[in-house]
Amino acid sequence: MISQFFVLSQRGDNIVFRDYRGDVQKGSTEIFFRKVKFWKEDGEEEAPPVFNVDGVNYFHVKIVGLLFVATTRANVSPSLIMELLQRISRVTKDYLGILSEESLRRNFVLVYELLDEVIDFGYVQTTSTEVLKSYIFNEPIVVDAARVPALGPASLFMQGNKRMPGTAVTKSVVANEPGGRKREEIFVDIIEKISVTFSSSGYILTSEIDGTIQMKSYLTGNPEIKLALNEDVTIGRGGSSAYGYGSSVGSGAVILDDCNFHESVHLDNFDLDRTLSLVPSDGEFSVMNYRMTQEFKPPFRVTALIEEAGALKAEVIIKIRAEFPSSATANTILVQMPLPSYTSRVSFDVEPGAVGQLADFKEANKRLEWSLKKIVGGAEHTLRAKLTFSQETHGNLTKEAGPVSMNFTIPMYNASRLQVKYLQIAKKSKTYNPYRWVRYVTQANSYVARM
Amino acid sequence: MSGHDSKYFSTTKKGEIPELKEELNSQYKDKRKDAVKKVIAAMTVGKDVSSLFTDVVNCMQTENLELKKLVYLYLINYAKSQPDLAILAVNTFVKDSQDPNPLIRALAVRTMGCIRVDKITEYLCDPLQRCLKDDDPYVRKTAAICVAKLYDINAELVEDRGFLDSLKDLISDNNPMVVANAVAALAEIQENSARPIFEITSATLQKLLTALNECTEWGQVFILDALSRYKAADAREAENIVERVTPRLQHANCAVVLSAVKMILQQMELITSTDIVRNLCKKMAPPLVTLLSAEPEIQYVALRNINLIVQKRPTILAHEIKVFFCKYNDPIYVKMEKLEIMIKLASDRNIDQVLLEFKEYATEVDVDFVRKAVRAIGRCAIKLERAAERCISVLLELIKIKVNYVVQEAIIVIKDIFRRYPNTYESIIATLCESLDTLDEPEAKASMIWIIGEYAERIDNADELLESFLESFPEEPPQVQLQLLTATVKLFLKKPTEGPQQMIQAVLNNATVETDNPDLRDRAYIYWRLLSTDPEAAKDVVLAEKPVITDDSNQLDSSLLDELLANIATLSSVYHKPPESFVTRLKTVSQRAEEDDYPEGSESGYPESPAHPVDGAASPSSSSGSRHPATSPPVAAAPAPVPDLLGDLIGLDNSNSLVPVDQPAPAGPPLPVLLPAAKGQGLQISAELTRSDGQVFYSMLFENNTQSVLDGFMIQFNKNTFGLAATGPLQVPPLHPGTSARTLLPMVLFQNVAPGAPNTLLQVAVKNNQQPVWYFSDKISLHVLFTEDGRMERATFLETWKSLPDSNEVLREFPGLVIKSMESTLDKLAASNMFFIAKRKNANQEVLYLSAKIPRGIPFLIELTAAVGVPGVKCAIKTPSPEMAPLFFEALEHFLQS
Repeated sequence: MISQFFVLSQRGDNIVFRDYRGDVQKGSTEIFFRKVKFWKEDGEEEAPPVFNVDGVNYFHVKIVGLLFVATTRANVSPSLIMELLQRISRVTKDYLGILSEESLRRNFVLVYELLDEVIDFGYVQTTSTEVLKSYIFNEPIVVDAARVPALGPASLFMQGNKRMPGTAVTKSVVANEPGGRKREEIFVDIIEKISVTFSSSGYILTSEIDGTIQMKSYLTGNPEIKLALNEDVTIGRGGSSAYGYGSSVGSGAVILDDCNFHESVHLDNFDLDRTLSLVPSDGEFSVMNYRMTQEFKPPFRVTALIEEAGALKAEVIIKIRAEFPSSATANTILVQMPLPSYTSRVSFDVEPGAVGQLADFKEANKRLEWSLKKIVGGAEHTLRAKLTFSQETHGNLTKEAGPVSMNFTIPMYNASRLQVKYLQIAKKSKTYNPYRWVRYVTQANSYVARM
Repeated sequence: MSGHDSKYFSTTKKGEIPELKEELNSQYKDKRKDAVKKVIAAMTVGKDVSSLFTDVVNCMQTENLELKKLVYLYLINYAKSQPDLAILAVNTFVKDSQDPNPLIRALAVRTMGCIRVDKITEYLCDPLQRCLKDDDPYVRKTAAICVAKLYDINAELVEDRGFLDSLKDLISDNNPMVVANAVAALAEIQENSARPIFEITSATLQKLLTALNECTEWGQVFILDALSRYKAADAREAENIVERVTPRLQHANCAVVLSAVKMILQQMELITSTDIVRNLCKKMAPPLVTLLSAEPEIQYVALRNINLIVQKRPTILAHEIKVFFCKYNDPIYVKMEKLEIMIKLASDRNIDQVLLEFKEYATEVDVDFVRKAVRAIGRCAIKLERAAERCISVLLELIKIKVNYVVQEAIIVIKDIFRRYPNTYESIIATLCESLDTLDEPEAKASMIWIIGEYAERIDNADELLESFLESFPEEPPQVQLQLLTATVKLFLKKPTEGPQQMIQAVLNNATVETDNPDLRDRAYIYWRLLSTDPEAAKDVVLAEKPVITDDSNQLDSSLLDELLANIATLSSVYHKPPESFVTRLKTVSQRAEEDDYPEGSESGYPESPAHPVDGAASPSSSSGSRHPATSPPVAAAPAPVPDLLGDLIGLDNSNSLVPVDQPAPAGPPLPVLLPAAKGQGLQISAELTRSDGQVFYSMLFENNTQSVLDGFMIQFNKNTFGLAATGPLQVPPLHPGTSARTLLPMVLFQNVAPGAPNTLLQVAVKNNQQPVWYFSDKISLHVLFTEDGRMERATFLETWKSLPDSNEVLREFPGLVIKSMESTLDKLAASNMFFIAKRKNANQEVLYLSAKIPRGIPFLIELTAAVGVPGVKCAIKTPSPEMAPLFFEALEHFLQS
């Protein structure tokens, strides 16, 4: 159980504070914030998510720039507290539409009402937005979404400033639309975070997909929903081939290492035809999380080269090739590469033709940054940079520079080929035809090319 | 509802409290509701709105649930300080607990349990009794938790009224939510009781396993954690349990997964069939790995747990080493844990892959991570004999990059490798020696010196190398001095020529005469005597064969490991410490009583803590510096009555609200003696101004060393700079000979202000019926006046600083003061409402900016300059009232000294 829950801004201001048991002193917010801010222990500069100060255990997670914190004196389950902090943020977001310092402050009465229902005497009661609806009476004051940068999965679907259809995902699940009536709609997002490590010679050393099927329902009356995945999805890598990948490459099957499901999901037919049925509760939740290490085609090939070019000089060439279909477009691409610490100057030679490209040398942390607004599938871009050093190299440039890491988002594309074949909503009447949005997005998690 | 809640934070022109009071008593419902919201808003930002208690409670009788909840929230906050008034709410509570609406019934019983006022507790019993048997599950589940609340306030009452049995009945409830809460409540009660209260029989086990399938995710965790205490009778029962629990591994909630893993690991101990065990291990691996796809904070918890699991059962994840490879965007605390597990999983089969990773990490940017990666290579070399050579060649490669900290770290691990495999890899010594002059870290230097000494006979110029270190012998840290001493002795024994002979004399001289380090001196004397009496014996001792070191990557000893494994999915498994070393759970009651009786105790709680340097995060020391040892005896019956701070302000009968506590006061820190017994004809008075919850108190201790009873105590304060005066009469009971009494006198400001230049003098007169009037004087330390709202935003600070003329800046130096730790100093300052705003570094000095405020809104903008550990603190302040500066400095000096 927890003793206190609080939310602090990045500056350490108290936004929300609720004491449940009175066995931890009031100054805990100060103590916590100072500890986290000036962390320096065991040679690490970042505070671990759990620590103990004078008998009080502090748990924290960072969400959209806010610190969600719980304290306790007991030997509790840490994963429970971590999950709880995440869920509180999710429930609050469901109610407020947007999670930010401003929305929390404006809705403090509602937030306290929620906190009283979610936790009693430090014990979690429920974190289901659906269940909470029958106990919560305050209505949210929705903060204007346009003013706040959208956060969370919804923002993945933003194309620059233009929003994709139906990105009303920042709206509250309980507040009514300005028109009074709620729009009947449901969002199913397949979000994949991919991690790939390329060796210096371009081979794939490790690759992994962390995927989640996220659902957010604004349907009234809680109709049952059927979600069908590709029929060739299999779970478990069969045997334990330690290295390398299953023999299934090319067979087309999607092989997941492991997956788990939200508790509302019925798996009665899953083994038979790969359909999931559920009555979606209100609010945003993960229907299914999955993990895949089966070989897949990485969306980008990255090669990087650094070579000495005379005394105190070197040249860097970074090449990225988009290996996904031309129907998809990656956006907000950022390529970064640490340079030798004695690099003093960098000049760039960018090729024309790329959209919104910008190359820069970050003097402070000796890093090269190359950003591109957009890359269309099939395209290839190269960056050449000339480095000037302030001292002789040790003749081991590849060890002192790199690795190259890459960030990107590719909407409407997923690397695993896991698909939602159909999304069926139990009909209430003939005219009932709610909006259904099934969206895919792929994001880089740790996308690295070694030198 | 209209508008924004934020409007409730705006201030009004008229006095805020009177205006709110008026609105609370409005005849319009909406206006009343708005007013309560404003009150709550004020409460949440720390303003004291307790004086509106009666008015808010009057709004309680309403059908409007939204309003009712707000009033209840207010009640929980202030009932403690208004125990007499809180009684007013009881009737409504009792009525609400029988309301036809289950939400209202539940709300009433939930709130009553949070009001920790003894008088209310009595009234709670009947409604609780009813609610435990309510038809509505929502009410029952709330009542179940309420039993735990009541137990925390008054355990005896719970047992006497038979609530424990009702609670146990709820385990068989048909609603899983109710079952889960009953389990949670019972588990907590059991933890705080020495008697067996909640024992899991095989019948309960079956019930709970059935409830498990229908529970919410959180209920599942409560139940799994409670069941993990169950010891299965035999292998078959264990198998059955495991079978029922295994499906939980598929859950999306990481807490459920880890609690299920814990349960399975525990039952596995009993299972004899190797097939089943192997199968279970196979089933647990994917969910454990999947935890690493969660948020980094959860990954961290999972990794700390996996670290323990692989020590016990390395096979579970033997084939999954790849998932522990670091991602470039992992937070550092995740990377460090992954490295640790990679070392544990490294084997002859995967070492090439692992080394490739480590080599890559060793060239990354983050220095701490790089160091740890280099060390990891060394640890693998020590662990895997067949891979040692490959590890060493990677280390040599890294040394060639000539990145200073990589080289030093490599030398440290190579020393260990030499000790593990003596006479095997000495050929690389030459390479190491090339880096000699770049070493500047003690551990690396010491390691290199050890290597030179150990292999002096193989290094042609060993004497020259050592000599180069000797020049700076007196300045070296002890670690290096010790190694230099030993290495020189070894050199001399191996090459007893003239050069080494001179060296050894110089070193021995340095290490005996010139040092004040006893370890060094003792060691030098031992060598000296050995060498002078029997050089051969010295050889036998100093050059003796050393025991071979082993791999330390499984560093936990098996009994601790078993204890920690039994605590998987608890904090214990994250800290890798047994629970008793960091759990300082206190009976809330005893702490409450202490806090209320001796606010000065809790005030100085912070200043006290630096004496026990703040325990390491994630590594609470076993001698935990808690002020509240777990063993502190709970105050048996009820919390001591609370001083009713505002009683007489509202003009109510407070004849017994301010109760002095006549128990001896060992808990609080001693108060300064102001009237010694010698001067007071046997009466001794100690007192100090303190601040607690935004209020100034005069904390006093009266000790009667006379032969007669003293009674009729009264107190009077002379005019003083801040107009401090008592808010009510002094409440001291008749003092019998040899007894003492403590009291807390609430003070007000600006009652009888003395004109003239500000000073800290506080003159006090105390009389009683038996003795003449005693006069003594005290000092007003400014820090008790610093208000809780003294925090400034950075921008405001800058603006204010600029807007004040330079003539308002006052500077003072404190050459004698030393700041030992920035952090604890800041903690101390914050505890006294001096708020940290920003800091910057100026050469080796830290410059801190803080703000504070004294009543009437006078701000202090503070700039503190100091170097940690070096005497001398400079303080500049800017304030609209520079005449207060001396007082401020006096307070600060006193503060930093203590």
